[in-house]
Parts: sequence; C-alpha cells; structure tokens
Amino acid sequence: MTDWLKTCARRAMGPLGLGLAAVMSHSPAMAQSAGAHPVLQAEQNDVATLPPIGPHWFIPSATDYTYQIFDMDKGRMLGTLPASMLANIAISPDRKVIYVADTMYSRVDHGTRQDLLQVYDAKTLALTKEIELPPRALAVYKKQDLDVSSDGRWAYIFDMSPATAVTLVDLSKGAVARTVDIPGCALIFPWKSGGFSSLCGDGSLTNVGVNDGSQPTITHTKPFFDANNDPVFEQGLVDHKSGKALFVSYTGKVYNVTLGQNPTIDATWSLQKAAGLPQAGTGVQELAWRPGGQQPFAWNTATGHLFVLMHSGNHWTHKTAGTELWEFDPAQQVLLRRIDLPSPAKGVAVSPDKASLVYVTGDHDGPITVIDAATGQVSRTVEARVGGMSIVPDM
Amino acid sequence: MSVSLFDTLSEKFARYLAVNSSRRSVLGKVSTAMAVAPAFPLLPVTRAEAAAPNPPPTLTDFERNAQSKDPDRCDYWRHCAIDGVLCGCCGGGVHTCPPGTEPSPVSWIGTCRNPEDGRSYVIAYRDCCGRNMCNVPKECDCNTSDREMPIYRPQTSNDIIWCFGTKSTTYHCSTAAIIGQAS
Repeated sequence: MTDWLKTCARRAMGPLGLGLAAVMSHSPAMAQSAGAHPVLQAEQNDVATLPPIGPHWFIPSATDYTYQIFDMDKGRMLGTLPASMLANIAISPDRKVIYVADTMYSRVDHGTRQDLLQVYDAKTLALTKEIELPPRALAVYKKQDLDVSSDGRWAYIFDMSPATAVTLVDLSKGAVARTVDIPGCALIFPWKSGGFSSLCGDGSLTNVGVNDGSQPTITHTKPFFDANNDPVFEQGLVDHKSGKALFVSYTGKVYNVTLGQNPTIDATWSLQKAAGLPQAGTGVQELAWRPGGQQPFAWNTATGHLFVLMHSGNHWTHKTAGTELWEFDPAQQVLLRRIDLPSPAKGVAVSPDKASLVYVTGDHDGPITVIDAATGQVSRTVEARVGGMSIVPDM
Repeated sequence: MSVSLFDTLSEKFARYLAVNSSRRSVLGKVSTAMAVAPAFPLLPVTRAEAAAPNPPPTLTDFERNAQSKDPDRCDYWRHCAIDGVLCGCCGGGVHTCPPGTEPSPVSWIGTCRNPEDGRSYVIAYRDCCGRNMCNVPKECDCNTSDREMPIYRPQTSNDIIWCFGTKSTTYHCSTAAIIGQAS
C-alpha cells in the first residue's frame, strides 16, 4: 500500500482507517507465499574441518597479518592461520601439519620476546604445540627463512642477530637441537636429504650436513656468482625430492645447482637468451626484460617448468612488479611461453601437479589471478586481500 | 689573539719573496708556465678529456626523478634504497624518531645522489623501534632498490628489521641520516 493511499484512508476514516491500513498490508497473497515454505528451524553453531590438503591449495600471506588457505578448484577460502607480518609458514612433507614460525611480545610491542615454532593440525587448524626458539631473523618474510627436511624430521629456521645462524628443530622430539652459525651467509635451501645450503656474501654457498643434529658438517663452495654487481635473488627455488635448485640473478642469469655437502653447478644460462633476446647487463640505463618482484619465481617440479615475473627495466629494479609471466624449461634452457598479466604482479606460485594452476598476486592488498598452465589463460580471479609471498603444498 | 708559528713563517716567506724577486725572476717564469700549461695540452689523453669534459655519471631512474624539497615523499633523494615507512610522516623527521620510539644503533646503508650538489652521500637508514608499525598513506610507505642487495649482504639489504640492540625489536618507521660523502 502506498503512503498516499494510507494517508487518504486515515483522513477519510480516522482511527478506523489505521486498522484498515494494517489489514491491507498483510495481504492474503503474502500469507500464501509464506505458507509454501516450512518455518526455518533454530540452528546450532559448529566448526568446520578441512579435507586433506589438495594439489590446488594456495596459501598466501594476507594483508591483516595472517596466512589464508584457498582451494583454487573452487576459488574459495578454507581457513586462516594467525601470523605476524614477519612470520613464515611451511607444510610438513606428509601434509598433516602446518608450521608457522613467528616472533611476538608478551605486551604486543614490548615485554618478553617470544620466538615460536607453532604446530597446527592441518585438518582442524588446532594449535597443537609451540616450540620455543632462539631469536629468529626479523625481515620481510620469504619462504627461504623456514623449511622442513624432506623426511619431516628437521625444521630449519634462519636467525640473525645480526650475526647469522640456522636453528635446527628436531620435530620428532618437538625441541630445538642446536643452532649452527653460518657467518656471512643467509637463508635455507634444503638438500634432497641430510642438510641444507645457504647463500653467502662472497657469491658462494655454505653447506651444512645436519647428521644427528649435534655435530653438523660444514663445507663451502667456491664463489660462483658475482655478488657485488649481479647477486642472485634470495628467492632461489628448491625441488625437495631431488635437491636440485635454481638460483636466478638480478640480470636474469640462472644457475642450475644440485645441492648437497659438495654442491655441483650444473649449468648457467640466461632468461633473455633463452627467449632469443640479448642477455641483460648491469647498466642503470640499460632497458631490458628483467626478473623482479617479492616472490618472482615458481617451479613446477612435475612438469619441470619455471615461471618468472618479468618487467621491462634497468638494473636494480629487482623489486619491480612483473607485467608478464614467462614460462621456461630450465632443463632445455628455452622459453616456452610469455603470458600477459592483467595487472602488474609481485608474487607467483604454481601448484605441484601436472594439471597445474599458476597463482599470481599483487603487492599486499589485491586479488588472486589463477592461470591454467595448460592454456596460459586466466581461469579465475579470486577477490582477496593478499600479498606477494605464498606457499603451495609439495605433492 | 696570538699569531701562530705557521702564520708568522708564512708571512716572513711572502715578505722575502716580495723583497727579493723581480718580475723577470725564475719564480715569475715558472709561475707563468704553470698558469698557461693547461691551455697547451701535451698528451692525447688530455685532449680527449678536454673534448668531453667530465662526462656525467649515468643516473638511475630514481636519481633522475629525485627531489630535494620534501623529505616526506618516497622520491626524496635520500630514499634511494629505503624499504619502510618514513618517520617524517609519523611525528619524527628524516633523522628523528617519533616520540616514544627508540633509534636502532645499527642500520643498513645506501648511497644516494643529491640533485642539489650532484654529490653522492652514504645514507644510514636507521629504524625507529619499540612501537607497532606507523600506519601511513601509500605516499609515505616506500620501497626503492638502487644498489639494494639480498640479505646475505645485510649491510645494504633493506628487507631486514634493523631493531638490533634496542629494548624491543618492534619496527615503527625508518629514517635516512647522512653519514658522509661517498668517495
């Protein structure tokens, strides 16, 4: 009933008109419609649990200091793990546990500092254990600050005070075994088994054989990259199953390395030359296609394909967002495809399976672009507020 | 004010020259040769340099666009390799921590070119620590990377929270103090 009609009825009939108006607003048609539907029942609140971690799960860092779990077959968020802006995350090799290494104060920004490896059940996201750690390195998060050995026994956590070290956590005992000093070196690149390597300021690797955790064996390689002028990105990639690693330099030189107590540099090649372009140099006004971003590389070890965020820029633009995604075969050292991105991207990840999905994210408050690696086409855009750093499960 | 020994000796020497040298003396001829020599380049190298006097160094894009007026913007010249929130936007300044925070005794460094004088300076990007991160608009949240290195070269890496040796390692904002002229 319109206001005009109600007003007319009131004026014509006085108090009686109000009653008429009330009857007219509950019309028989509306009552019939409600009668066709059963009355909604009261509900009990319950709590969701998660299915086993699937190959198309994607776990990016989110704007409000969390890690979010997405199922990209459905494009839906499945859950959230609390984490500060300096927290790292890793999944156990059996995919039953998710680890978060974080640092916090008892009174938010002061009080007692606590460094913890938090252990979450991957089905319920219940916090099942917190392992106290020596002080971690506090830096913009990257995957290479925390990793788990391929047998699931050890967690490796990068420390900086500012002297650098790695904490060895014996996950079978739920306790720190010891820290290993790695002077002049940083980050963690696990071997196929038995230890990890770290990148060093002189362009070499230091290699830590963990043994039983009490007496590590430490070796050093000769320098193999130019750390002064063309350092390799911190975001080197490791295939945990084979111990093979890819390190990419600021100019786009790729070092194929097999990690171990005595690593081998298997091949060195150029992203640009693989694309039929001149190799990029170190000129500050030398425009070329260059790798860049916060997490510029992703490696699908099932297909062997390497994905790199590329932008057109000069030397020292290694943090610049990529406008294209280049797909390489690092074994053959050839470019397979260039994919135009809908908007510049800071982070890339790729699912571990052959039917792979590529996830592209922005700076720290953007959506997730999902690209079907079979076609190179965008298959889905998921509205979200996530940043450049992310992980996917190993399968 | 007493006259120093050096001044006294200098004065005596100058007076000796004035009294004992003529305009045609050896000293006068040598002086003339020194004054005129640059006009007569003797070596090809000198001539080549003369043809292109002091070619300017190739500047990065940041250096080309840098300004020297507003230190609370990411394109202020000292911010050539900064990653973080500018303390000047948070109640502090380019070398001043905001109230209630504590400066880190150590820092990472950058080498930045001042467009005013064309000189390069070593900049210490000291963090201010002990309070949660200062919440600022995008214009004050910077991430530049001229000559910025990975964390295995920590002294020039800007991803690190440099709150070492402070009461709390909580990051609030970053300053950009001049250390000195870069050689």
